[in-house]
Amino acid sequence: MLPARAGFRSAKVSSMAGRAEIIRTESVTKRFGGVIAVDQVSYLLQENEVAGIIGSNGAGKTTFFNLLSGYYLPDEGIIRYCGEDVTTMTPQQRVARGMTRTFQLTSTFDNLSVVDNLVLAFFRIHKKANLLQLLLHTCKSQRHEPKVVKALETFNLQDLRDKQVKHLSLGEKRRLEIAMAVIAEPKVLLLDEPLAGLAESEIQGILGVLRMHVGSQTILIVEHKLSHVQGFLQRLTVMHEGRVIADGDPEECLRDPEVRRSYWQIEVPPDASGAILS
Amino acid sequence: MNVLRWWWSLVLTFALLALLRVFVPLPFANEIMIFSIYTVGCNFLLGRVGFISFGQPAYLAVGAYAAAFYFYYFGTNPYVGILIGVVAGIGVSLAVGPLFVRLRSDYFALVNLALAVIIYYFMQKVLVDITHGDNGLWFLTNLSSTPVLDLTRPDEFFVFALLVGFVVWAFYKYLDDTIYGACCLGSKINEDKLKFLGYNNYSIRLVAFVIANTTTALAGAMYAVYLGFVSPEITSPTRAADPVIVTILGGVGTLYGPIVGAIAYTGMKDVLSKVLGNWELVIGFLLVFIMLAGEKGIWGTLEPLLLKAFRRAPAPGAAGESKVGGR
Repeated sequence: MLPARAGFRSAKVSSMAGRAEIIRTESVTKRFGGVIAVDQVSYLLQENEVAGIIGSNGAGKTTFFNLLSGYYLPDEGIIRYCGEDVTTMTPQQRVARGMTRTFQLTSTFDNLSVVDNLVLAFFRIHKKANLLQLLLHTCKSQRHEPKVVKALETFNLQDLRDKQVKHLSLGEKRRLEIAMAVIAEPKVLLLDEPLAGLAESEIQGILGVLRMHVGSQTILIVEHKLSHVQGFLQRLTVMHEGRVIADGDPEECLRDPEVRRSYWQIEVPPDASGAILS
Repeated sequence: MNVLRWWWSLVLTFALLALLRVFVPLPFANEIMIFSIYTVGCNFLLGRVGFISFGQPAYLAVGAYAAAFYFYYFGTNPYVGILIGVVAGIGVSLAVGPLFVRLRSDYFALVNLALAVIIYYFMQKVLVDITHGDNGLWFLTNLSSTPVLDLTRPDEFFVFALLVGFVVWAFYKYLDDTIYGACCLGSKINEDKLKFLGYNNYSIRLVAFVIANTTTALAGAMYAVYLGFVSPEITSPTRAADPVIVTILGGVGTLYGPIVGAIAYTGMKDVLSKVLGNWELVIGFLLVFIMLAGEKGIWGTLEPLLLKAFRRAPAPGAAGESKVGGR
């Protein structure tokens, strides 16, 4: 852990000691013109850790996420993935190493069926497919692959398997998008606001699936609805104006006066964080 | 059963095209076949990859002139000429494709149009010593008769065109079913997602570009063999929109849209030009209507209705078209 501020190492986080490091950033900075979106952020994500990043709008969390996944390249700093410097690697190279992500705005292939979306997500990674293999295999031949069938079951998408994605509800699309990320069996799963815009019942469905992966999967979540994910987050990072202002045990982070000031923009007594979250 | 189902629509389509020969004059039937093959590449680029190309005449000319140079200067075998046209199409696509496919659709359309203009002026002026400029290259008498299917005979050329068309459509139908075909559609509608699944958008587009333009060059070489004449007019910028118009008329991204579009376009051209001086005006209004009516085109509108009718009264394999992306 590269602490943003001293005093945030709780017992829960310390228990991660000894685990392999998955992602490590060292003083990563990203500027857009004169605006510093991410400012000297150093961060460590360890194996099987379930971590969250929160922050107000414009805090830099999605930009940081985009830097990790290769959507943007940093102006300064280093990003390591399993010890390897991936700072300038393309998204495809990072995916090939086991890093998958979802997007804030649901991102699927709307003109394909649900099962073919999963086939595309499955085939590239599991078959290490080159162009020739893409030409030699039909979607139909992959639709009954055990991993595809299992993903349909796990995410409760069996009834929708042949439906074109453009006809799905937002919640169903979110489920599909997370299924597409999970089917690749990544080393780290980056989820960008997976609960945004969902009804309560849909949220519970997605949380149920995510809970199944806690402890066996490294997950990093950017999420506004902190009350929903706080239960299984092992670590929380709070960003403000491009910088990490708190990092550690979720409850301790949320009691921090600076976090309360910057995130909720109010002075809240330290014992009232639970009320805010609910 | 699945195999039968897969081939059913192809066999039926080309059987109907073969019947066309009985009802329409041979030159018209041959023109439809060549025009259909010419358009299928444009339809693939636009419908599958999302690239609109106003430069298809460039690749048509590449195939046609490559075959024409062979017939005029080197040899006489029509099959060899067509093969040379196809190889030239692959070569030019591989030469310009790595640069062109990096561009987004609007710039891609214009850069291809620019290539068509460049080739037009090269054939008309710069290479006038070998192309004979606007007079073109005449080589009909150079073509030698060939066994089995004699391509110097228009009726046998039609059979050849029908067979080539069948192979081309079988290939594109297969391509639609492949994971590559799904990737093309993915690249069209959500390239970022495809990238974050680990696919390389650039390679996918480059292969699509080469496949589409090689098909167009094949049509160009067939055109050269059929007419025995090639002039710069083939790549005239004034005809740059023709394949796009036929694609939209037929139905963008539909498998049989190029054939239906070619029949409609060539038919209207032939019929209307006898009645109206400005027949293009009717085509223009028709295109506006098609696009305002939902961009489905003729086949895009008819196909669901036909499938519904077949499903109501199941014929062998007729209900089997489970397509992704509305092909």
